Amino acid sequence: MNREEILRAQEKSLAHLRSVYREDAETVIADARYGFISGLLTEAMRKPAIERRTISDLIDKVLINRWLGIPIFLALLYGVFQFTFTVSVPLMDWIDEGFGWFADQATTISPEWLGSFIGDGIFGGLGSVLVFVPPIFLLFLALAFLEDCGYLARAAFVMDRLMHRIGLHGRSFIPMMLGFGCNVPAIMATRTIENPKDRLTTILINPFMSCGARLPIYILFAGAFFTAHQGLVVFSMYAMGIILAIIMGLVFRKTLLRGPSGHFVMELPPYRLPTITGLVVHMWERGKVFLVRAGTIIFAAVVLIWLLDYTGALEPIGRAIAPIFSPAGFGQWQAAVALVFGLLAKEVVIGTFGTLFTGAEELGGLGDVIGFDLGWTALIAFAFMAMTLIYVPCMAVIGTIRRETNSWKWTVFVIGYTLVLGWIVATLIYQIGSLFT
Amino acid sequence: MPTKLLSELKSKEKGKIAKVGGGGSIHRRLLDMGLVSGSEIEVERVAPLGDPMQVRIKGYHLTLRKEEAANIQVEVI
Repeated sequence: MNREEILRAQEKSLAHLRSVYREDAETVIADARYGFISGLLTEAMRKPAIERRTISDLIDKVLINRWLGIPIFLALLYGVFQFTFTVSVPLMDWIDEGFGWFADQATTISPEWLGSFIGDGIFGGLGSVLVFVPPIFLLFLALAFLEDCGYLARAAFVMDRLMHRIGLHGRSFIPMMLGFGCNVPAIMATRTIENPKDRLTTILINPFMSCGARLPIYILFAGAFFTAHQGLVVFSMYAMGIILAIIMGLVFRKTLLRGPSGHFVMELPPYRLPTITGLVVHMWERGKVFLVRAGTIIFAAVVLIWLLDYTGALEPIGRAIAPIFSPAGFGQWQAAVALVFGLLAKEVVIGTFGTLFTGAEELGGLGDVIGFDLGWTALIAFAFMAMTLIYVPCMAVIGTIRRETNSWKWTVFVIGYTLVLGWIVATLIYQIGSLFT
Repeated sequence: MPTKLLSELKSKEKGKIAKVGGGGSIHRRLLDMGLVSGSEIEVERVAPLGDPMQVRIKGYHLTLRKEEAANIQVEVI
């Protein structure tokens, strides 16, 4: 049979079904299927006269209660963060110290360039990436627990209205919140979103959620330039990220990724006690991706940056890039170099300043030295903080976006649009702010 | 018997599905999840922000947005 014949036969059958049942074929099939199932059930199963309230129902009465639903959701989310970061801090310190020790040992290796390569390049560079292994794995562990016990579906139920308003899906909320920890697991967590456009939008705007690596930058500059309003300034960075995420989400959903949002016809499964094996498997399956990447793409980047630094190519590169940022106030080559290095991991921005302004400790803090040597004002510092928030996500996130979207086109798009947006926002802050000072 | 849209039902209201409308993928999805004519359905609760809603059908819990529930006509019991 050829295609035409098949289609004609199909049309004929459909018309026949419609004329007999006065319903479309899908409904007829579904009715027949469920009719058959309920026939089987009446023969084979005895139903209790009154439907019992299960433990699951009782838990739901509290957990997704009209009034308590949102407070409990927020409390659980807070709990996940507390767990992740409390437990990972000592582990991160160990990894940091461990790599630091190896780096120190390596510097004694001769010839000198090899010692520097192994010490600063491999141990120093990889160490700055691998310290994120504990928070990533622990975050996945906590998330696996919420998912396996059945709460994640409830979280989507509670938050869907809000996310739907901004063109997303209830399931987008968790990845957005996870972004405050680290954008890498957050972007991987978008796998629970079924609709491809919902998922891609969530990936594209996720880097605006200020991750843990950006916090040290905020703290450094807020402490040095905004002594009286540190907390407010740090908070404003988080708020700016959220507002940008909402705006860009709406923009993408109305332009590049137009189309209906995914359905929310979803089962609420009964609560189950997760098994330890299940949790560990879930954690490992998602976390190992990060490990693999640390060993490949990130490693290559680390070597490249070490090479540029060692051969003295860094300052010329910084000087070449710096003029681009003059309209935003931070057109010094050191700032440009810090931003380039920040691509490796955002907190490396501080590490770079630390290397470029050695001896900062005696001069009353790195932030003050930056202010003094580069002539930065509070306004420039604020514009620079905005830039570090918005411009190109770190290497690990770029790699994750490439992997999760399976598209170089979208990966390059993210790099491009965040860079342009960061420049625009930083320039606007500096230029408009300059009118008032 | 009076029919209403599922989206108009209040928490704890029950009924029997009279007709499942909507086109394309949403129609198929609703049917796949067991929302077929004749099934008993009960609204269990509405999410804290007023949408989506949670219903009980065929002995399990299902959530759907009100805009999706508006495709379903229910004979209120």
